[in-house]
Amino acid sequence: MNVETFKYDNRIVRAFAIATIVWGLVGFCAGLLIAVQLFMPELNLNLQYTTFGRLRPLHTNAVIFAFVGNGMFMGIYYSLQRLCKARMFSDRLSWINFWGWQAIIVAAAITLPLGLTTSKEYAELEWPVDIAIALVWVAFTVNLMGTILKRREKHLYVAIWFYIATALTVALLHIVNSLAMPAGFFKSYPIYAGVQDALVQWWYGHNAVAFFLTTPYLGLMYYFLPKAANRPVFSYRLSIIHFWGLIFIYIWAGPHHLLYTALPDWAQSLGMVFSVMLVAPSWGGMLNGLLTLRGAWHKLREEPMLKFMVVALTAYGMATLEGPMLAIKSVNSLSHYTDWTIAHVHTGALGWNGFLTFSMLYWLFPKMWNTRLYSTKLANWHFWLGMLGMMFYVIPIYWTGITQGLMWKEFTEDGFMKYPNFLATVLQLIPMYKLRAIGGALYIAGAVIMAYNLWKTAKSGVFEPDTEAQAVPLSAQREHAHEGGQAHGKTAFWHRVIESKPILMTVLALVAVAIGGLVEIVPLYLIKENVPTISSVKPYTPLEVLGRDIYIREGCVGCHSQMIRPFRSETERYGEYSKAGEFVYDHPFLWGSKRTGPDLHRIGGKYPDAWHYNHMDDPGTTSPGSIMPRYPWLLTQNMDTNALPARIKALRKVGVPYPQGYEASQAQKDLDAQAAKVVDNLKLGSIKGNPAKEIIALTAYLQRLGTDIRGSEASTAPK
Amino acid sequence: MIKNVLSTLGGVENFGIVSICLFFTVFITAVLWALFQRKSLVQQMAMLPLDGGELKKGDSRRE
Repeated sequence: MNVETFKYDNRIVRAFAIATIVWGLVGFCAGLLIAVQLFMPELNLNLQYTTFGRLRPLHTNAVIFAFVGNGMFMGIYYSLQRLCKARMFSDRLSWINFWGWQAIIVAAAITLPLGLTTSKEYAELEWPVDIAIALVWVAFTVNLMGTILKRREKHLYVAIWFYIATALTVALLHIVNSLAMPAGFFKSYPIYAGVQDALVQWWYGHNAVAFFLTTPYLGLMYYFLPKAANRPVFSYRLSIIHFWGLIFIYIWAGPHHLLYTALPDWAQSLGMVFSVMLVAPSWGGMLNGLLTLRGAWHKLREEPMLKFMVVALTAYGMATLEGPMLAIKSVNSLSHYTDWTIAHVHTGALGWNGFLTFSMLYWLFPKMWNTRLYSTKLANWHFWLGMLGMMFYVIPIYWTGITQGLMWKEFTEDGFMKYPNFLATVLQLIPMYKLRAIGGALYIAGAVIMAYNLWKTAKSGVFEPDTEAQAVPLSAQREHAHEGGQAHGKTAFWHRVIESKPILMTVLALVAVAIGGLVEIVPLYLIKENVPTISSVKPYTPLEVLGRDIYIREGCVGCHSQMIRPFRSETERYGEYSKAGEFVYDHPFLWGSKRTGPDLHRIGGKYPDAWHYNHMDDPGTTSPGSIMPRYPWLLTQNMDTNALPARIKALRKVGVPYPQGYEASQAQKDLDAQAAKVVDNLKLGSIKGNPAKEIIALTAYLQRLGTDIRGSEASTAPK
Repeated sequence: MIKNVLSTLGGVENFGIVSICLFFTVFITAVLWALFQRKSLVQQMAMLPLDGGELKKGDSRRE
């Protein structure tokens, strides 16, 4: 047969590998910094660019999209070429993918500390960056599909199925969740509001975990584990079931992030049931991985990468058992909004993604530099430091989460809240926060050792930019099969089926994820028409719009929820539970996902304006011991009234009923009048306020929160 | 237009049961498909990561 010689591109793999290490360290350090800020809030050095609220999205984005993203591309670019027996479809697209992705990361690292954020978790980047992400992702997808189509291996290995599902679904999720109306170059409002926005966001958020942090890494596990263990996967049949089970179920599970919220009950139950079912394919995959090593466990002694891989799989198993458990409504009522969720995601991020990435790096560097790993001893040090770091991270934070949940819900025998002051529940957690920071530091120390070890490995070898390979092209394989005397018509048919498989696979995978998405998104329209309307709920005033934008800019949603669940422990503490109809003008929704500070949905009117003024200047003066950072710049910076017309206009376009032409002059007049009122109120607290300052707008917004419902009787009738 | 059609759709409470039925159909299809794959093909597929077609230094096939 006609054998072709060709070359695999290792340069692109090296570039992504280096980016993975560099951005990994950046992301971990950002995490450590904000972890320490939780017990040393002054560590932002009184700078607005380094507060917890602004750096938290930087940390999550750096770890998810920079560290895991680059790690994913590294593994895919290496394995895809070898599984397809073909060089990447286009070197140019490979490099567009690489440099485009790095540019996006740099844009995130600049814009997020500047407070340019949409506030939607893991989708914080503003619309110009969102467009760039979509374009780079298209480049990656074309390169992926092109390589698959020009392959020399007729069968598609299961890892490639996972890669296809990743490429398609991430594109779908990113586009649907990022639909927004620009109100300036770095400001936009989502087209969805309130409940709809929440549902789309968590459909995205949950599936970002599924299709960015899980499916590509499962594909990589199915490639690198057999490769390192030098034996095929335990059960290929199980991997097929794993794939279809996982991608079909995952897409439905998003609503488990919104249990007991104002989301319709049937959607909550659907999310819960599918989440619980998710444990089956997840564990099938984990066991398939671990059982691949049966009879080869001794290899763990010689091959550090296998040790990392086994821990990664174990962490995957733990996280995917815990996830469904947390999705059960009764468990969720305790865990939601607490640090339990933080511990859960870190089991996945540090254990599953982190250790699997380290495993790949330890395997790839010696291979690509044609040498041996510089030091197995240092790799072992990394392994144990990483393990210890994880333990010191997750155990205190599980403890923290359960403590928070129980303290929030505890009543005295007489029926009063045992801890009516939220701060008392926060101060209880400080020692655990300190332990968590030690865990983070240990994990980083391990990663630094790895970086040194890999650098020395590279220095000791010679990089092979291209690896030569040989394979028979598919056309020659087909001719050979014909010459083999098989019935011509029949084989031609099956060859067509086989060759059309990537397309067939792509279509089937798209159908699988689209069904789940559609069943959740179609009712969004129904929800829009059926949200019980509350006649007294009105759009925000111009001053409140600017105040809300400051709330978004400062990342307040990173610590404060705006969603009171219908539990006595919450209504006693915060006030009446939140109704779906109260959020119809909330672009975006700001329900939040954790409460490091108290819920703010009914904060309006709870304290005088002067309290907010003093609290933002220095939270310690109004709440002694508070771990909230100071926001003195809000008292000195002028609000951006020039941006007001564009914002009112954009909000009107997404459905907020401001009258036509309102932004021309009336909006500014209304703003001035309301600002003057706030300044008058501040006088009562002996504060001389300046109506042009940001604190005035933020105070107006906070005082508005949750007050509309007090205006009149709520109507529960649909429109 | 589409929005109007969708907003008049009834039976939203059936979405849950329809979803479960859909899932089991897909799941059982996947299981049957996996089980009825030829053993030789499955073995061949499982071996794919172990043969990347790379030529080692000194390989007689290397040009």
